[in-house]
Parts: sequence; C-alpha cells; structure tokens
Amino acid sequence: MSFLLEIQDLQKVYKNKKALDGVSFSVKEGSCFGLLGPNGAGKSTTMKILTGVLASDGGNISMFGKDALKHRKAILQHIGYVPQDIVLYEKLSAYDNLSFFGKCYGLDGDVLKKRIDDVLKQTGLTDRAKDTVKSYSGGMKRRINIAAALLHNPKLLILDEPTVGIDPQSRNHIFDMIRSLKEQGTTVIYSTHYMEEVEALCDEIAIIDKGEVVTQGTLDYLFTEYGRKAIYMESETSFPTEKLTGIEAVHSHHQGLIIETAAPIDLMEQIIHISKEKKILLHRLEIEKPSLEAVFLSLTGKTLRD
Amino acid sequence: MKNILLKEMKLMFKEKANLIYLIVMPLAFIIIFGTIFNQAGDSTVTVNVTDNDHSAASKTFISQMEKIKGFDVELNNKDVNQQISQIKEGKLNSLIVIPEGFNQQLTSGQNKAKISFYQDAAVSNETASIEAILKNLSNQYRENQIVSTLAKDGKTDDQIKSIMKSPVNIDSVKENSHNVDMMSQMVPGYTVMFAFYIFISVIKRFFTEKESGMISRLQSTGVNPLSYLLGMWIPHFLTIMIQCIVLIGFGHYVYGMHIGSFVGIFLLIVSLAVCGSSLGVALSFIVKNENQGIGMTQFIALGGAMLGGLWFPSNMLPSFAQVIGKFTPQYWAQQGFLDVIVRDIPVTGLWKSFAALIAFGIIGIIVALTRYKAFLRSAVK
Repeated sequence: MSFLLEIQDLQKVYKNKKALDGVSFSVKEGSCFGLLGPNGAGKSTTMKILTGVLASDGGNISMFGKDALKHRKAILQHIGYVPQDIVLYEKLSAYDNLSFFGKCYGLDGDVLKKRIDDVLKQTGLTDRAKDTVKSYSGGMKRRINIAAALLHNPKLLILDEPTVGIDPQSRNHIFDMIRSLKEQGTTVIYSTHYMEEVEALCDEIAIIDKGEVVTQGTLDYLFTEYGRKAIYMESETSFPTEKLTGIEAVHSHHQGLIIETAAPIDLMEQIIHISKEKKILLHRLEIEKPSLEAVFLSLTGKTLRD
Repeated sequence: MKNILLKEMKLMFKEKANLIYLIVMPLAFIIIFGTIFNQAGDSTVTVNVTDNDHSAASKTFISQMEKIKGFDVELNNKDVNQQISQIKEGKLNSLIVIPEGFNQQLTSGQNKAKISFYQDAAVSNETASIEAILKNLSNQYRENQIVSTLAKDGKTDDQIKSIMKSPVNIDSVKENSHNVDMMSQMVPGYTVMFAFYIFISVIKRFFTEKESGMISRLQSTGVNPLSYLLGMWIPHFLTIMIQCIVLIGFGHYVYGMHIGSFVGIFLLIVSLAVCGSSLGVALSFIVKNENQGIGMTQFIALGGAMLGGLWFPSNMLPSFAQVIGKFTPQYWAQQGFLDVIVRDIPVTGLWKSFAALIAFGIIGIIVALTRYKAFLRSAVK
C-alpha cells in the first residue's frame, strides 16, 4: 500500500509561539489515520495547512505524489475538509447548503443533483433535506457538515473532531459513514482527543503533543511498544502484594489494584495461590486491556484531558 | 461567483431586518415627515393684540391685520405689564398694544399715533414677520395721508395714482416652481441617507462569514478569493439599486414627485450603488468587529446626511460646514438628484455627480482590495 500523504518537518509559528515544531507523518492510501492529542496539541493547525486554509512556515507536504504547495489548487479538488465547528448556512435548507458547497467544488447540473441525493442517503437525512439547518439537532447538523465535504467524492477526507457534542446515535451514524467511505477506498484523516474513537475507527495513529508527533504506528504496535502489561484485581480484604514476585509497579485503581508485570499469567497464578492460602476472597482478577490512554500517559507523562 | 452571489441574495431576502432598515424605515420617514411638512403651508403666526383704545381707528387697524393670510389675530384685554412679564419669561412670543388715545392721536394730524410691539428677542425669527407687517401697515397709513393731502391740493385720481406709483417694480419669477415641493427635497434626501445604511448589512455579512468559519471552509474548497469577494459584493450593489428605485418610485407614484431624465436618475442610482456598496466592503475590512462597524456606519450615514444637505439645504450650514460637505458622497448624490428632479438638468449635465460618486466608489474598491488579504488571514481561526 503506497502513501497518499507524506509530511516532513512541518512548521507553524503564531506570534513567536511554535504551534507545529517539525511534524512528520505518513498516511497510507485507503486507510483511516488518527491524529490523537489533547486540545492545543497542533491537530487543527496541521489539518488547516493540509487543506490550504493556513500557510506553513516550513516543511514539505506531498499529496497524491505531488508537492502540495506547488499544486495546491489541483490537490484541493481531491480533498474534503470537515472543520471542527459546524459551518453551514442555518437559514438555508440542507439541500441549498449542499448545492452551494457542491458548486464551490465545481459540480453542477445532474451530477450535482445525484451527488446531493447520494450524500443525503449516506447521512440518513433525505426526508429532512428541504428543512432549514436551523431546525436540525446538533447531531443532524454534524452529519450535514460532513456531507458537504463528500459531494465531490474526495480521495482524502479530513475530519477535525467531527463528533464534538453529539448524541450517541449520531456518533454511531458518523462512524458508519466513515467505515463505509473507507470500504469505498477513501483515505480518512481523523482528528480527535477521544481515544475510544481512534480505537474504533483508525488503522494507524499519530500521537501529537505540543506541536510534535510523539509516535506513529498501528494500534498493535503502539500497545506492544508503549502499552503497559498489567493485571487488575479486587479483593474482599487487603491483599499482601509484598508476597508477589516479578511485579514492576502497583497502583490503586477504583476499588482494586493495577499491578504492572512483564508476566501477567504467572502473576495471576501467584495471586490465586495466595488468596486460597490466606483465604482472601477475590472479587475480580483480569488482565488489563491495553489502552491508548496508557500509551499516551507513558509517552507524555500526562493524560489526554490534562 | 454566481453561486456565491445567488446564495447571498437568498440569505439577504431571508433577513427581514434588511427589509426593515433599507426599505420600510426610509418609507416611514418619507411618509411621516412628508405629511408633517405638507401641512406646514396651513400653519399660521399668532398675533397677540391688546386694544386699550377701543375706537373705530383701532378696530380698523386690527381688521386690516386679520385680513392678512397666515396671521391669526388673538385679541385680549389682559394686563399689559403681566403680558410683558410673560414675554420676558419666554411664555409669550410677542404682543401688540394699541394704547388709549390712538384714535385721537391719529386724527390730530400731528403724526403722534403710536402702537407698541413687544417681542421675545430669543424668537426673533418668528416675530420678524409680525414686525414687517406692522411696518407695512404703518407705510399704508403714511400713503393714505399723502393721498389725502394730494386730494386736498386738487389733484385728480389719475394724477394721485401716477404720483404714488413706485419708480421700481419688482418682477418676482420662481424658476422650477412646477418641480419644487417638500417631496422633491425629502425623497432624494432619505433615499441617499438610507443607501449608506447598506454598510450595516455588508459588515454583518462579512463578519458572520468570518466568525462562523465559513471563509476558512471555503478556502479549503479552492474557491477563488476574488470570485468570493465579488459574490459577496454584488448583492449589496443590487440591494442599493432596488432600494433607490423603490423609494424614488414611491415619491413619484404616491406623491407625484417630478422625475426629470429617467436615464439621469438611473445612472445616478447606479453611481450611488457603486459608491455605497464599495465603501461598505472597504469599511468591513477596516473595522475590527461588527459593533465598531455599526458605530462607524452611524457616524458616516448621519454625519454625511447633515453635511451633505440631505436634511436641509446645505447653504443653510456655516460656510466651513458647506466646504466639508462637498467631501461627502451624500452631497454629490443629493445634488445630482436635485439637478434631475428639481432643475430638469439633462443627463449630460450630471457628470460632476457621476464623477464624484464613482470616485468615492473607486477609493472604496482600492481600500477593499488592499485590506482583503489581511481580512482573509484574520478569518482563519
């Protein structure tokens, strides 16, 4: 699989403050690529540079095998950008909004009408197409916000936190849309600070913090490389952890303990043995599921919502 | 560009506030002030008279005053000193007192008959007309005395008429009188004044686009920035055109306001629309926020209306203000409209107004284009 996008050493400075400090990552064609980082990490700035909204202060971007700065206009025809805010004309109907954006992308006539019908079906809003956007719920507005970026069948769809403040039903609808687009071969870059969204949608992830990419790779790679191995246990009475061997760290978590170890199965055997011997009732004993939260904590020393 | 233009027109028609302050408000101003000033011809000046003589001569004097159109004589028997105090306090404008013995002094032939006229100096504009009438009546008494003397000397009526005839005749000719009424001043005045209120609409649209993130989003679609600018600009140009046609048409069809050259009027409207819309766009790119823009609009629209002679003829202003007024687009627009409507000047004679309005428009275009890039940059959140 070839790279559709390659970014090298991207720089952006706002009034003497470095927003991007050498961002580099690559996105494979047909994949869903997650940009994960806390607010202010540089995700939106990166996306705005990719979509031509902002100019970079240094670095190289190659898209579809071309220099993005030299072929900006040609490249933009293949990009769909969904901004973080809902950017629609609230007094116009969804159909009028889509017609307007379609024409901005150079569509017209029957082709435009067909594409509007298609994206309305994708968003599940065909029945409400003639209603003003003002009358929509937050989730419906988000769906039309995405639909407006799909009209020209982009090869690359860039979504900047597209699920902020919406209901679970609309979120699932958006997830289904993204999965469907991916199946059709569209490459997706998805920015979020919700790890569960990245885990649910993305094949590959770049973790960005303070304008730098901290790491990039598949979920498996990140979990293997940076995820801690640990077990979680809850017991009726205090458990003598000093009797356990091969443990690396112990943390209190909810009503139990997280015990980090290189050999979780061996450790679970030890715990079962000691609990029988000391007649300690165990409520829970399980291998901790690897999470991006833990990866992020391990890499940056802070949580995503810090 | 067509796409942006059509979208913008749709949004403008859906914005009811535009209809109110661009069409309904000026129409209301024209109707209300038109009605008020059209009644002005029926207004009268009240003349307070105290007759302390109660003679045939004093009654003749009062009846002569009553015959004069526009003067409403109010005869009273109040105490004169009390009424003079009222004048000092500003409660009464003026008072004519015919003193006791007026008849006797008039018939004595010694030219001692006297009428007192008390007036509040603070309202001398209002009382000046009464004073002028009194002097005129005094002259009439003098003429009557001369006629009587000539008759006693045995002069015939024809000889007396010839002697009394003034050596100078004033021939008063009112040019353009068929075109002049309150509406011919008021309709173009309010049309020009409210044309500049388009600034508010332009500023609101650009700042809404900027703050909603629409400008950023459209940049990602590859829309040409110049097409975007024209698409946002032209609807406001068309709005001023529609606004002016509606208001001038209203004056013509409802109030019978004379319209001279239709081509002249149309080209003036086009020039005004170029000027108003381009200055509005320029202002949008200069101000930092919508509130600042609305404040500037009030300053430009109202200040220009006063200095440009939209509310009253500019020659009533102090000379320095008249000079400043000539640097406002409102002045040239109003002069152009008055040239066509009142003076019946053909289209070729309106070139000064066209040139001035288009020049202001070009200044607006240059400023707008100079500031456009900075505005687009500031629109990226």
